[in-house]
Amino acid sequence: MKYVTANSGTVAVGLAFGPIVPEFVRANPDLIDYVEIPFEQLRHTPEVGTIQETVPVILHCASMSVAGFVPPDQRTLKAIGREAERTKTPWIGEHLAFIIADSIEDDDDKPTSLTYTVCPQMSDETVERVASNLGSLQEHFDVPLILENSPQYFEVPGSSLSMVDFVSAVVKRCKVGLLLDLTHFVISMLNTKKDPLSEIDRMPLEQVVEVHVSGLNVQSGVAWDDHALPAPPIVFDLLERVMKHVRPKAVTLEYNWSPQFPESMLVKHIDRVHKIVRC
Amino acid sequence: MIASRVHAIVAAGLENPALLARWQQQPDLLRTYGVDPAEFDLDAIWKFAGLSAKVKHNGLRAELPLTFRFLSVNGLEIEVFGAYASHKARAGTRYAPTTAERIVELVEFLRDWLDFGKRQHSLLWDLIRHETALAQLRQLTPSTKRSRVPHIVGEIVLHEMNSDPRVIGKLLREKSFDSRRVRRRVTRLCYWNGGDPDEISIIELDELGFNLLSLVDGKRSIADFNHLFGSLNDAFAALASVGVISLG
Repeated sequence: MKYVTANSGTVAVGLAFGPIVPEFVRANPDLIDYVEIPFEQLRHTPEVGTIQETVPVILHCASMSVAGFVPPDQRTLKAIGREAERTKTPWIGEHLAFIIADSIEDDDDKPTSLTYTVCPQMSDETVERVASNLGSLQEHFDVPLILENSPQYFEVPGSSLSMVDFVSAVVKRCKVGLLLDLTHFVISMLNTKKDPLSEIDRMPLEQVVEVHVSGLNVQSGVAWDDHALPAPPIVFDLLERVMKHVRPKAVTLEYNWSPQFPESMLVKHIDRVHKIVRC
Repeated sequence: MIASRVHAIVAAGLENPALLARWQQQPDLLRTYGVDPAEFDLDAIWKFAGLSAKVKHNGLRAELPLTFRFLSVNGLEIEVFGAYASHKARAGTRYAPTTAERIVELVEFLRDWLDFGKRQHSLLWDLIRHETALAQLRQLTPSTKRSRVPHIVGEIVLHEMNSDPRVIGKLLREKSFDSRRVRRRVTRLCYWNGGDPDEISIIELDELGFNLLSLVDGKRSIADFNHLFGSLNDAFAALASVGVISLG
């Protein structure tokens, strides 16, 4: 098995696990440093974990509902802990979002469990809740949890903070590392009519541990995450800007939705990220 | 507004987009949950449900690559999958467990939902049927059962298209796609697995050949056909010469 090794000053470049990754890693064993795999994928299809015989793994997660008001079940947390130990991941990236919520019916105590994370209400109340959740969640793991900024597709009622202010408040309150998803960031800025190039400087960049890069598209008047498309130039511009403030430990390209993602494009973007992080 | 209540309402709407439609028609229903309906952008939440439905169908991309590319380049993904998520919620059914079943269900939904008067919808309908036929035939090992009357050699799928999906596919592989370059014309196609699932043939047919092939059932003899429709010997001979039928 291969494991991520700490190498101070070097920015590792990896890929999010997807249909093209096993073959790509076999054909290009030296192009990437690690593969990022969601815990949920390892739980449902454990065989994907065999890729760690070839390349180290960083664990990602979307089950902890860090910004939610309904906790995840203990079995799930134990299973995440087991995967963290098995993969020897250096950290666990989790979404600054919720995936479980109370039922809307007062007489129904069964919560609503979604299969994807949702941007929370961005308020002081949620910041406090994240701090409380993170405190109890972190106890389950020997490696740090880091939090990933959500894409904002709509205004969540009751929000009193912008995305940048919310993330900053959480990072300050919780002293937690940041998984800066640059595409989520661009999406949030486009959907709230803010300038990503100026807003990025207001993010707590010194706390960035890992960066995510993926594609986006604009449909039905909204910018959406799209891991089947290559990242647009603005995402690379932002990565260059981030690198002027901080040296993250890892940059992950998330091109994991489509088995048709062109290999030539993948190689080109890995090369582009390498060039940026080595500057 | 209490965050946990907001999360509960957003999650309920995402899980069941039919609720979103109900709240849009009767905003006061939301007041019963102690929130102000004006604060909720129900249309945007509905679109997000569409994104989620789209992501849940990523597994279909291997079989329907051109369909997904068409949806993407024409900006139809959110609209189509948003409507599909609502449809499933209204029906109270979950997405099918296998890729093959999900494709069938998606095609069935589109058959009812698409507006064939819209050029892009019509092209999408042709393209998804084209890729579905290829995907289904690739999964089949045809029976080698023979008959003494005209019968299909292997397995076929017949589709009458409003354009040629092979042309749409070719244009989609180019850097930019312009649907106006696709000529609208009735195109009758026979997708044929003659025994090797790795080699699916596509035969373009005229109206007579198409209708005749749709009636070949391994039970009716040439005499039966001739009795019903007049002499079809030449048409049968033409289909037999391609190999898609055997005259028995």
